[in-house]
Amino acid sequence: MVFAPPARHLLRAKDLADGRYANPLGVDDLARAARLSRAHFSREFRRTFGESPHAYLLTRRLERAAALLRTTDHSVAEVCFSVGFQSVGSFTTTFTRVYGMSPTAYRAAFPPAADRALIPTCVLRAFGRPQHRTFREDNGSGRT
Amino acid sequence: MIKISTAQVWVNDQDEALAFYTKKLGFDVRSDVTVPELGNFRWLTVGPAEQPDIAIALMAIPGPPVMDAETAGQVRSLMSKGYSGTIFLTTDDCQASYEELRSRGVDFVDQPEERPYGIDSSFRDPSGNHIRLTEVREVAKV
Repeated sequence: MVFAPPARHLLRAKDLADGRYANPLGVDDLARAARLSRAHFSREFRRTFGESPHAYLLTRRLERAAALLRTTDHSVAEVCFSVGFQSVGSFTTTFTRVYGMSPTAYRAAFPPAADRALIPTCVLRAFGRPQHRTFREDNGSGRT
Repeated sequence: MIKISTAQVWVNDQDEALAFYTKKLGFDVRSDVTVPELGNFRWLTVGPAEQPDIAIALMAIPGPPVMDAETAGQVRSLMSKGYSGTIFLTTDDCQASYEELRSRGVDFVDQPEERPYGIDSSFRDPSGNHIRLTEVREVAKV
């Protein structure tokens, strides 16, 4: 049996969010992937990666949605459901809060990155994920 | 002419890594040499059969005096968090390679998906190193 540091199990949960965000997936599922109780998992995930598993999953979905808005002509509703959001209303609200503009305005503002350079998806995904912001922190300015 | 010959990744356990890179990924062993006069340092490299001049060195995280215990712990921690880098592999058929690796027990993070540059998938080695497997497509210039 090879020694694996505890973070390796937390990485499995992070990978699950990155790979299965399109499915109805929640923090409970991520905790199961790390084989930890939910409360312990959330605490350890935050300690290791600097943000809560909820925020990570949410911003992964937003990052994927933003990518689809930039690179496809799928409708906002299609984009919303294909990245795992359950309602267009909450998707639009959350997207607007985090990106500082509506999904439609975002699509108009950013032409596809692929027009400029062939950047691997893992890079786009790592660098495109937005900083999570709560309503309390929101001061109405643009992206942070 | 300068060419790439070997790139190195840290691994938690060289035997575990060797089994993964040869039995699951299908790479050849290029060298597996243990050097007693270097504190039993083990130079272990693997690579794809079709690219005999390119290898990946699977390097155990050393202890003191090569690396102090604190640094070794930091390297181990970065690796297990998935932050110690990525190996980019290509294939001429991503779906076929995906099926083949999966049948050998590779647990994929990203299943093959269409991207602007081709079909892309990813998995990790047992230490947490990120490996991407991409079928690169020629992109028509606009």
